[in-house]
Amino acid sequence: MTTTRRNLLKFVGGGAAGALLTPAPWRLITDSALWSENWPGIPRPAHGGITARFTHCTLCPAGCAVRARCVAGQPVSLTGVKPHAVSHGALCPWGIAGHHLPYHPARVRQGPVKEATAAVAQAIAQRGTGEHVAVLDLRPGRTVSWTHRRAMAAINGGLYLTPRQPGYSIDLAAAKTVISFGAPLFDGWGTPGNVIAARSIFRLIQIEPVETRTAAMADLWLPIQPGSEFMLAAALAGNMTLAEAALITGVGEQALAAVQEAAESGQAVVLAADPASPLMSLNEKYGALGRTVVARSDAPMPEAWKQAAPEMSMAAAPDGAIRVLLIDESLPGGYIPWRRIAPKLAPDAVVVVFTSSNDGYARHAQFVLPAAVYPETAEDIGPAIDTVAAVFRIAAPLIAPVVPAVDPARFVERLAGLPASEPLRERAGAIHKAGRGTLLDYTAAKSTPVKDVTADNFWKTLSQGGCWMDDSAKRTAPENLVFPAAGEPPRDERPLTVVVAEPRRGGLESPLMSKLERESNLRLAANRVALSPDGARASGIENGDRAVLETAFGRLNVVVAIDPSVPAGVVEVAGGPRMADLCGGNGRARVVRA
Amino acid sequence: MTGGKIAFASGMLLALAGGWLAFPRVLYRTHPQPVDFSHKIHAEKAGAKCEDCHAFRDDGTYAGIPTLDKCSGCHAAAMGTTAEEKNFIDRYVTPNREPQWLSYARQPENVYFSHIAHVKLGKVKCEQCHGNEGGAATLRPFAQDPISGYSRDIWGRPVNRIALRTEGGMKMDDCVDCHRRQGLEYSCLGCHK
Repeated sequence: MTTTRRNLLKFVGGGAAGALLTPAPWRLITDSALWSENWPGIPRPAHGGITARFTHCTLCPAGCAVRARCVAGQPVSLTGVKPHAVSHGALCPWGIAGHHLPYHPARVRQGPVKEATAAVAQAIAQRGTGEHVAVLDLRPGRTVSWTHRRAMAAINGGLYLTPRQPGYSIDLAAAKTVISFGAPLFDGWGTPGNVIAARSIFRLIQIEPVETRTAAMADLWLPIQPGSEFMLAAALAGNMTLAEAALITGVGEQALAAVQEAAESGQAVVLAADPASPLMSLNEKYGALGRTVVARSDAPMPEAWKQAAPEMSMAAAPDGAIRVLLIDESLPGGYIPWRRIAPKLAPDAVVVVFTSSNDGYARHAQFVLPAAVYPETAEDIGPAIDTVAAVFRIAAPLIAPVVPAVDPARFVERLAGLPASEPLRERAGAIHKAGRGTLLDYTAAKSTPVKDVTADNFWKTLSQGGCWMDDSAKRTAPENLVFPAAGEPPRDERPLTVVVAEPRRGGLESPLMSKLERESNLRLAANRVALSPDGARASGIENGDRAVLETAFGRLNVVVAIDPSVPAGVVEVAGGPRMADLCGGNGRARVVRA
Repeated sequence: MTGGKIAFASGMLLALAGGWLAFPRVLYRTHPQPVDFSHKIHAEKAGAKCEDCHAFRDDGTYAGIPTLDKCSGCHAAAMGTTAEEKNFIDRYVTPNREPQWLSYARQPENVYFSHIAHVKLGKVKCEQCHGNEGGAATLRPFAQDPISGYSRDIWGRPVNRIALRTEGGMKMDDCVDCHRRQGLEYSCLGCHK
């Protein structure tokens, strides 16, 4: 046989045909598929002992108790703690996926710490007479907040600024009727488990222009003309006839009469989307103060801490006088639109933000420093709006910080020259010294009166994710509860009223929430707005079109969803920092096709 | 013409021989275990049962290969005179260093398997899946598919396909066969979460 090209090709062809009759190519195909599943960079779950650890969620002020299932010390799933007097074993979707956040790809991972420290020190040294150093604390009420306040008291001209905080708590279990003016009762208002546990007790009347999730779950939803809530309140207060109110609000007279009857039948409480809204003053009429709306209780604290800077609202800060502004955005919390902050800053102000996300104030600050996220750091959680008894619960860290995070409290403490301290432990000591209340030990699944626990064991249990709960049941009406009168909104000719119907916090969200918001559209994402079919048609916009949302404060590229449940003349937007910057204030907008 | 047929047949025969005889031999890479542990000695001399070392935790999860502290309980000092035991104590027990055992049975991350459901509820014997590992005087080398990274014991049909099927094993087909024989559910989501 001679070696010709033809024979060589036949040899190769025979080889190929033979190979197909062997397991080799088929096995290589499946193995290659498996190989592609194991490429470098694909996260690998740890292997090891399975343990349960406990902590509290810091993603909102509810502070739900959390049981973490850990493999080789790494949390792999989070659930609620049952039974629990406050959170009732429930966790919201954010809480369930909280252990993903440290690994979020959009997390702030590094920042110019040295440069920020030097710039702040220089600005403090060079500030002129009447110029201030301020901390803006977006989650007041924490132990860290007291560190900020003490530090600001130690600095000449230090200010401690916070968003508006309710000075009261709501005891939902004591209410038979809840009249809610847009309060997102089932969508992040209070402690999810607590609200659901009390749901069978009260009748919910939800008053808001669009059918939110809370409206859908209410016993009665009154779709009101946006902006006419105060007229309805005036009718309920007897300052206007129901017929007049019906004309203005678009709510039927019979429905208004039903609300009035339910409200006056006893044990009614009024809630508003803004806890400091003048609408809350209706509670006085219904006798809810001291019964359902009670004075907020805080856990005891060391006497020395009371030498602290007072809380101040941004509006009360002097204009153009803040030379250094340190914004503690380390936990998701309130948000003050930037246009309310900017006038307060001195011309050459230094703004430093401690955050994990580029979504909020990082857009406006000169220095963005990475903060630890839940569940990386030990932190306590301030009281939730629906927690009547004082509580002190610590979010025990479940993992070491994934990035080199800056502790805002330590930064501010050093700036003020305060000695390094362990404020959580000091506060636990003060609570133990007070000798009242109960210690909940989730690991041992037992409650023990504080007087039966040693100080060391008290701290040890708390630092492992335990909870102290006050048992004093005295209820008092909140003091100095002043609700400012509603001001006239500035005139704006834009045709649409902005309704924020999707309470959305800033900050990082787990992939679970991204799935819900960005892919399923079950929730409005930050860049989506909803229009009525008529409103969309008038603007020549179709479902899914790109458009520009215009307000007096700027423009934002958005995607429009057409939703028949949105009333004409309304544009429904998601909450969050960008929308707050754009739409807060007069609440008028125009949507223009891009 | 005949030459062409011979060339074709030669190529085919070569590929068949390579695919059926050589490929199975080169498919797996073998690695020795860190210690030549003898299950047999421990079972016979120490009277140990499988679950004495491969225990369930209090919460029902399976601990798998015991950690060093379990071994150190008996082998803090040499109990016998074998070189392997001396080597084990010198290299691992004294410096308190965990041996990096190569698990024949480690399933991929996409597989959920509950030992307690099979052993306690299903009364499945250890040998049924793991073979007579407990009676072996030595640890066989760990054979790994270098492409997929999987152990030979858990993935892929026998590539020569002439092995008689045995009742047992830890491959997906083994699981499905056993469930089918027992009349049990065997949907994908039963194991692949």
